[in-house]
Amino acid sequence: MSATAVHAGGIADHIHPEPQGFVRRYIFSIDHKIIGIQYLITGFVFLILAGMLAEVIRTQLLQANGGFVSPDVYNEVYSMHGSSMVWLVIIPLITGGFGNVIMPLQIGARDVAFPWLNMISFWIFPVAGLMLYSSFLIGAPVAGWTEYPPMSLQAGPGTSMWAAAIFLIGVSSTLTGINFVVTMYQMRAPGMTFTRMPLFCWAQLATAPLLMIATTALAAALAALFMERQFGVPFYDPTKGGSPVMWQHMFWFYSHPAVYIMVLPAFGMISEILPVFSRKPIFGYKMIAFSSMAIALLGFMVWAHHMFTSGLAPYLQLPFMILTFLIAIPTGVKIFSWTATLWGGKIHFTTAMLFAVGFVGLFAFGGITGVFLAAVPFDWHVHGTYFVVAHFHYVLVGGSLMGIFAGTYFYFPKMTGRLMNETLGKWHFWLFLIGFNGTFLPQHWLGMLGMPRRVPEYDPQFQFWNDVSSISSYLMTFAILLFFINVLYSIRNGKKSGPNPWGGRTLEWQIPSPPHYYNFKHIPTVYGLPYNFGQPLPYKGLEEELTDSPVHVGAH
Amino acid sequence: MAVASLPHGAAGHDGVDQLYADTRSLRLQGMLLFLVSDCVLFSSFIFAYLYMRNSGQGWPPPGISRLDVAFASLNSVVLFGSGATMHYALENWKHNNFNRYAMFMLATIVLGIGFLSGQGYEYTQLIYKEHVTWAGSGIFGASFFTLTGMHGFHVSVGVFYLIILFLQSIHGVYTKDKYFGLTAGTLYWHFVDVIWVVLFSIFYLI
Amino acid sequence: MLVENRAAAASLGRGFWTVTAVLAVLSVIGIIYWVIAPLDTVMPIVAAQPGEQVDALLRFMAASGTALFIFVGGYLIYFSIAFRAKASDGPDAIGVQVHDNHVLEFWWTLIPTIFVALLSVLSVRIWYQIQVAQPPNGLVVESLGHQWYFTFRYPQINGEVTGEMHLPINQPVVLNVTSSDVIHSFWVPAFRLKADMIPGLINTIRFTPTRVGRYPIICTEFCGTDHGMMNAQVPGENGKPNPSAQWLVVDTPTDFQKWYHGWQVRNANVSNALPTTTGTVNLAGGDATAGQALFAQKCSACHALGPFSQRIVGPGLKGVLHDPSHPNLVDGDPATPANVATILEKGFTGDLGHMPDATQNGLSDKDIANLVAYLNTLK
Repeated sequence: MSATAVHAGGIADHIHPEPQGFVRRYIFSIDHKIIGIQYLITGFVFLILAGMLAEVIRTQLLQANGGFVSPDVYNEVYSMHGSSMVWLVIIPLITGGFGNVIMPLQIGARDVAFPWLNMISFWIFPVAGLMLYSSFLIGAPVAGWTEYPPMSLQAGPGTSMWAAAIFLIGVSSTLTGINFVVTMYQMRAPGMTFTRMPLFCWAQLATAPLLMIATTALAAALAALFMERQFGVPFYDPTKGGSPVMWQHMFWFYSHPAVYIMVLPAFGMISEILPVFSRKPIFGYKMIAFSSMAIALLGFMVWAHHMFTSGLAPYLQLPFMILTFLIAIPTGVKIFSWTATLWGGKIHFTTAMLFAVGFVGLFAFGGITGVFLAAVPFDWHVHGTYFVVAHFHYVLVGGSLMGIFAGTYFYFPKMTGRLMNETLGKWHFWLFLIGFNGTFLPQHWLGMLGMPRRVPEYDPQFQFWNDVSSISSYLMTFAILLFFINVLYSIRNGKKSGPNPWGGRTLEWQIPSPPHYYNFKHIPTVYGLPYNFGQPLPYKGLEEELTDSPVHVGAH
Repeated sequence: MAVASLPHGAAGHDGVDQLYADTRSLRLQGMLLFLVSDCVLFSSFIFAYLYMRNSGQGWPPPGISRLDVAFASLNSVVLFGSGATMHYALENWKHNNFNRYAMFMLATIVLGIGFLSGQGYEYTQLIYKEHVTWAGSGIFGASFFTLTGMHGFHVSVGVFYLIILFLQSIHGVYTKDKYFGLTAGTLYWHFVDVIWVVLFSIFYLI
Repeated sequence: MLVENRAAAASLGRGFWTVTAVLAVLSVIGIIYWVIAPLDTVMPIVAAQPGEQVDALLRFMAASGTALFIFVGGYLIYFSIAFRAKASDGPDAIGVQVHDNHVLEFWWTLIPTIFVALLSVLSVRIWYQIQVAQPPNGLVVESLGHQWYFTFRYPQINGEVTGEMHLPINQPVVLNVTSSDVIHSFWVPAFRLKADMIPGLINTIRFTPTRVGRYPIICTEFCGTDHGMMNAQVPGENGKPNPSAQWLVVDTPTDFQKWYHGWQVRNANVSNALPTTTGTVNLAGGDATAGQALFAQKCSACHALGPFSQRIVGPGLKGVLHDPSHPNLVDGDPATPANVATILEKGFTGDLGHMPDATQNGLSDKDIANLVAYLNTLK
């Protein structure tokens, strides 16, 4: 170790004694790896619930005149589907889940900056989720995940429960954001300058301020809605001087950055997976890192593109339109860089790689329709229709969810020491790809031709494509079922993976799978980017990690 | 072990010699980021207030008289004074003057409670004399009571926090060199002051 | 020993250029398709100006998006196949260790920037056509959203028009929309335009119908249980007609006049009172003389007796209860005696302004009745 190193007594630089007892090790753990897995398990449970809600939607829409559930129940179902997917599935899985498991390992740390806060952040999550789902018992929210007043002022008690539950999970998000920023700023291993930090960490570093800042803005909007509904305090009710449009501003000021919260870490995952399975460096590391920051920043400036039909002042519509167009540029740079990463590679198509490449194509498609929506005159036609539904499912399912699948296949061995089954994985991928596209591609023209969103019955001339969409969704759900079977099967019966089944070069692959509770016997020193295959690893101090050498509490 | 045995660009040339930032630095950054996010919470409600106020009906709305600037100014002086006493409390701690620290700390707590009492008095005047209530006075009552109420809640939490810090300091939890809790308390208290500067300006001055 | 794929580093192989040529050809085909093909598979027939411009924008975006996706998708597939690790490669085979290429990165940043600039210019121009540069004298029509139906107000037709909305062909229209309860949205796909109907404010869309026909009106903002039924093309339940289905009919001038006259006659005796108001004030026996005195005392500070445009604080009130082209009240409701009484009693504060309520103005129920009687004399 460098003679000039200063051991200043940081929170996690020494090896602490191992936690004892089942409860301290696995229930109320402060270990980021355990917490991350807890997030993943809980998030996947909510994925199953929210997915079932989705299938209620698609089954209702098999018939133009509905009939599967009543319109009021249908409205509850899609509102809870959207709310769950955003706040109980994608955001927790991709930040609290993968962020927690991987990021500290990748920066060579023993844990995050505030492990106790991390544990609290996690435990808020299942409580808030239970609160949200309990609203089904008292009348779940009905006005979508966006809950525009006055409709949300009018609706039953579940809307207040929704507001409280989302507020609570927002606290979890905010604390995680603070935790991650401090961790990445101050706890990188010696020698790991920002320009040597893996791209997954760059993605989390771009996302964490969004978690911290945007979520709090939503908290204010939700608190105001709750106060108005429960205590009659006027914020949004126009008959009392409030403004429905004000809700839209406050809600979207959070919810647009929220979609970048949902996708930036997935970008980071893809940036890790593609080089490993192409056996070559990620193309354009600096541009990819920089573009993540640009997207995060621009993401704060475009919220009113969700409000082009609400009567925004004309002079406001144009800047929001142009800023939204601008986001296409850093995003395009990423897509081109990922594609160029494949060129000249030696590509191994593991399931993780299949999902990563699929992500690039499908996200590109969804991003393109996003540009369509940014053009105000076109938005005036398709706002509130299935075109919008198609767009966001391409970027959130074809994008974020596929990124989550890719990350699971990639990091499952690191977390469990076993590989997932590749045959089942490939079935999952191909069936999912076909099912997904069949479900959402027709929704583009359904929207343009005249099918509004959030409807339990529709024009019979659209029945054929709705049936294509619904049947395909069953295929997609079946594929996801294969995924869960694979996960459960592989935990016990998967082939042992060893520490580095994929030949990865980032720090997490240089320690055992699963890692010891202390992560590293000795914190390594870093002196290069981890993407140069064919070179020696750019680390020093890792010699003992894969040996049986004894570990001393208090070592660092 | 010698630097020469490492390939070009080894650590030591590139900057990070320290193994980790120390605990204090982590906690300080965490506290500051928490205050940033709390700022965003207030900013969102301030946005709502300004948006609603700008809706063209004049301010205060018909039927509601202007707020009592004089009294609020007095109350503000109490709060800003407590900011000063908090600053001196921390300074004295750093210089190991426990008695003076205790005096300033207690003064801060008393002034904080004084501010809250002033707020309480103002609220009773508004509610019972002027009939301006949280839910029954349109967007004026909604914005005023929500924002000042949130601020008052933060001050109340702050008073409790300072009391706990004071008790901890008596029990020797903090030393001359390790006193992050007191730093955090000071930061929080100044934050509460800064928020009040903004609220006072936008409710009483404009 | 890691074996780097140096051959690929030497030059872009023939395979790459062949694929690029193929992708280019496919892109050109895609672009041509979007430029010349009829849009009827993805868009309803266009029936108003400037709706055609929206279709032109779609063609441009779809053409460029198709070309981009063909290239990205095409290269993804080609690289995945061409650079697949072969069994003969051995476990240590690695790809070409290239990190970046500044020339390439420069171009693939510049070209999208240029494209974004072009798209911005095109979008702004079309936006301008729709939002700003519309003919000045349009037929002013209003639509009010309700749970779960639309109503309309026309100049010189008393009360509200329900059911179908008719418009004459080639006549510019200014459509003001708002809502009486929750947010709705007024969308006519054939016109490529929508505006949210938000209680407390009025949104406006301007267009000129260019094609005779019947076009569905569709609500595109969730508004409650029967949101899906507020759609002309959704049939009713159990074979019965859908009570919320409403069509926008573009007529020849003669047919429009017939329809219009029909409603004038039908509503001739409608006193502009609406079933939606629930005022508690009994307007019978209001004394217009007493009302005039009250008006001078309490209202004239803010309201003139002149035309609508003569604003002091609130608008002028000449003809408020009789002139069919008088805009709606500040709360979005049409100016009927009952609605005026409601506003005087309850007041209103919103984006359009603030009307004090009876307590703030010091008005008894009798005072309100007298004021309404007086306003009723203003023609």
